[in-house]
Amino acid sequence: MQISESQIVNGVSSRDRKSFAKLLSICEDNPVMANKIISRLQRKEAHVVGITGSPGVGKSSIINALLSKLSRRVGVIAIDPSSPFSGGALLGDRIRMQSHATDQNVFIRSFSSRGALGGLSPSIFEVCDAFETFDMDMILIETVGVGQSDTEIANIADTVVLLLSPDGGDEIQMMKAGIMEIADIFVVNKSDNPASIGLKTKLEGIIKFGGKNIPVILVNSITGDGVDNLIKELDSRFERIRVDGTFASKRKKRVFFHAQSFLRRKIDTIMQSIESDETDIEKIEKELIKKLCS
Amino acid sequence: MIKVLIAKPGLDGHDRGAKVIARALRDAGMEVIYTGIRQTPEQIVQTAIDEDVDILGVSILSGAHMKLVPRILELLKEKGSRIPVFVGGIIPEDDATELKRLGVIEVYGPGTSTSEIIEKIKGYFENANI
Repeated sequence: MQISESQIVNGVSSRDRKSFAKLLSICEDNPVMANKIISRLQRKEAHVVGITGSPGVGKSSIINALLSKLSRRVGVIAIDPSSPFSGGALLGDRIRMQSHATDQNVFIRSFSSRGALGGLSPSIFEVCDAFETFDMDMILIETVGVGQSDTEIANIADTVVLLLSPDGGDEIQMMKAGIMEIADIFVVNKSDNPASIGLKTKLEGIIKFGGKNIPVILVNSITGDGVDNLIKELDSRFERIRVDGTFASKRKKRVFFHAQSFLRRKIDTIMQSIESDETDIEKIEKELIKKLCS
Repeated sequence: MIKVLIAKPGLDGHDRGAKVIARALRDAGMEVIYTGIRQTPEQIVQTAIDEDVDILGVSILSGAHMKLVPRILELLKEKGSRIPVFVGGIIPEDDATELKRLGVIEVYGPGTSTSEIIEKIKGYFENANI
């Protein structure tokens, strides 16, 4: 069933969930049209928070705990990996958040990574912009369960929360480059495990050694213990970065990263249309440039 | 890309069937959302709309299908949604006929092969020309 651009613009402006759901599908399938629609809508700058960490560390559960305590309009972008073989995906992040499925202040949407590496989906910038047109106060992006080098979330989120659990390895793991460097807030989940206190202490030592001042918060996403502290930390950071210029510079960079992502998607689409038995790189390049310019 | 919601309403916890279907559809190249057990019709319908799925699969083994499925269809209609619904589970033949009369596109009983379900879903969208 097709609905027109204007219908979507009108629907989203009047907070119609069905129209907004359609807009998100357009973000996934037709970025050119999505950007056009988004530019016609009013946008509110929400606090974009990335929740990242390894598979099973508790990302969905912590989002559920946050949703239970945040009495404001919150959007959730939950990304799960696509299959390198079938292209399909099993999107299961919502299971932990279903008690909020009918909450009118919450909008949860699942996305497949559709082949993208780095922990996000190809349409993430369009999707994030779209959520800002739906009058959200906060947007939570749950990355794919990540490895050590999936740092793309730092290009889009105003605040990156790295979730760790006490069974994640010794302090050498924490001293490695990559994901440990992009956290604005560390959260140690599963605080009922006594080892979590040891992890917090080690982390604080390593942060201090690096000359930084990054908070480490203990939480239990099942009982909700410590979640209030996380909310307090998120809010005070948002206030701070809006004053000290970090927010503005991050948003400026986000526009650049959006352009980069948009162009990469365009190139990817063209590459898929070029015959895969072509072996001459120069010929492929010429073909790509020809199609890009047409 | 076909996007499917596999949902389990009601109080039974027998989710093996739903999980097998979710996995099979994933391997057939679809994007499958699975929302877990014990969902209300309200949760299922709101999720289907918010996720803008192309099709909704409902798995029930509790025997409450004549209460839960009509309620789901009613809520979808109320919200102006035309998402097609298929049902899987232990559904007596008479009930299956009645559910289809109410608008369910297909009812799958025990022993249905996953390839049959995949083909039917794919065929449905080829014919519907979406």
